[in-house]
Amino acid sequence: MTLAIAAVAAVLFGAGSYLLLQRSLIRVVAGIALISQCAIVTIIGSSLSEGRAAIDPEQGGPLSDPLPQALALTALVIGMGTLALLLALVHRVVVAHGTAERDELRDVDRPAVVDPEGAGRREGDETE
Amino acid sequence: MTALSLALLVPWAAGLALVVLDGRRRAVGWVAVATLVATLAVLAVLAAAVLRRGAVEYVTGGWPAGVGIVLRADALGVTFALLSVFVVLVAAAAEAVVGVRERTFPGLLVLLAAGLNGLFLTGDVFNFYVFFEMSMIAAYVLTAYGAQRAQLRAAVIFASVNLLGSFIFLLAVAGTYRVTGTLAMSDVAVRIAEVPASAAVAVAVGFFVAFSVKLGLFPFHYWLPTVYANTRPAVAAVLSGAVANIGAYGLLRFGAGIFTDQLRFSATVLIALGGASIIYGGVLAVARRRPAEMLAYSAIGQVGYVLVAVGVGGPAGLAAAVLYSVVNALNKALLFLTTAVRGPLVAGAFVVGALSVAGVPPAVGFVGKLAVFRTAVDARSPTLVALLVLGSALSLLYLFLIYQREFWAEDDEEVSADADDARGEHTRSVSLRAIAVALALVLLVGGAWPEPLAALSAAAADSVATEADGATR
Repeated sequence: MTLAIAAVAAVLFGAGSYLLLQRSLIRVVAGIALISQCAIVTIIGSSLSEGRAAIDPEQGGPLSDPLPQALALTALVIGMGTLALLLALVHRVVVAHGTAERDELRDVDRPAVVDPEGAGRREGDETE
Repeated sequence: MTALSLALLVPWAAGLALVVLDGRRRAVGWVAVATLVATLAVLAVLAAAVLRRGAVEYVTGGWPAGVGIVLRADALGVTFALLSVFVVLVAAAAEAVVGVRERTFPGLLVLLAAGLNGLFLTGDVFNFYVFFEMSMIAAYVLTAYGAQRAQLRAAVIFASVNLLGSFIFLLAVAGTYRVTGTLAMSDVAVRIAEVPASAAVAVAVGFFVAFSVKLGLFPFHYWLPTVYANTRPAVAAVLSGAVANIGAYGLLRFGAGIFTDQLRFSATVLIALGGASIIYGGVLAVARRRPAEMLAYSAIGQVGYVLVAVGVGGPAGLAAAVLYSVVNALNKALLFLTTAVRGPLVAGAFVVGALSVAGVPPAVGFVGKLAVFRTAVDARSPTLVALLVLGSALSLLYLFLIYQREFWAEDDEEVSADADDARGEHTRSVSLRAIAVALALVLLVGGAWPEPLAALSAAAADSVATEADGATR
């Protein structure tokens, strides 16, 4: 069981990292979402014990560890919040830049950023 | 105990209320500043109590110890909390005097302060993550402040890289629970000694990577220059002076306080990475042209000193690391704020900041540099001393390049144009200049009278050492 969970977490992390390296910002967001799921699966896998839920214990019966469950719930909520925030941010970027491709994001209002070395030096030489 | 709860509740409650209100109204901006002043006052009371009577602990929700989440204020935590809230306060004041442009900005700054306070004052690893995420979410939105194309691009880069760092931290938390069966920092520190070495190192590396991303250490720095250089000056000051403290605090708390053996084991690697950061940041800062970008690379170089001091370790090394983190945060806040304004007084403030970064006596940076040099000499490593000297020389070089280009060429419209349109149109605001000058005075006073700061950082290093001692006993 632990091995299965470890394998799932590994696959999630691998797929997430792959997506994170893509050009499209939407894929980057999907990659982060997958990696957050990997973290949650790992939390659940960190203490696997069979038994009843801690809220309704059986007298003397086995009890499942409630802590990872609480952690996973908290992490899920935080993960969802950050995902929503990231999507909103990407939406703003698409509105402002007109593209969701990472490489096409340029600061047209400040071309010096594109080539700070060359453009900057020439400008400096003139003023000094 | 009351002060401890208030330090979290005051900014949290006020922040929630402020986010709802329209931050563009002047009054709301000033309420945010007032809240931060109140938080700072509460923290000062807490710090006085901690320094006089030792760490303050409080188990939340009235649960017995070991069940409830522990809030814990020790010298290290209150030092970083005071520092971060101070920097956030300066940034909030700097935006309030010229007029806030976005409705959520003041509220988010206060919530950021709440999150930072929470993570510096918690004794629980998972609780640390929750507060950490709370402050980071505020920071992601703050990075987009201004909502120009450059800021939005910076915000996306900042958010995606740092979220990856956060989830690596979460993975390390899961690993910690797996190998130790607890999440209270003091218990983890005790039980990690019995954990198989390979598992403990894997978990420690996870934490190290997460904090290095936050701090912008060389090889994890790639996101930092774009973000610091493209956000607005007040936000850059907050990111480098308050949010980056999470990384420094994390290295001290988790590295020196919990994973003591693993830290000793990897000391050479840490010192090498710190050295690489110092040289890389310095060389690239000299090669850049825009002041904000040079300062961003300078930030990468400066955190290298902290890592070197942590790597050398020992009471002196840890005290130097705390001291240097404090000094560096103040330096960076001042320098980023001065990129927004011009004028003779600001030029003076910039020189103070520059001298402080380079470690020249009248400014407080000298005290920090001296402490780091002392640890390098104690470590009997000529290479390390040479490296630190080289780093300082580079920092002096690039800072005076900025000074020459930005403040001597002031009458030249072409040069100051960059400051005018890219960094905001309030370059001549008198009150904004007054804030920069006031911060410069703080640096000078700190340099002239360094005893309180030195005592505070020594106490902070001591609190880390006792935590680690308790673990080995």
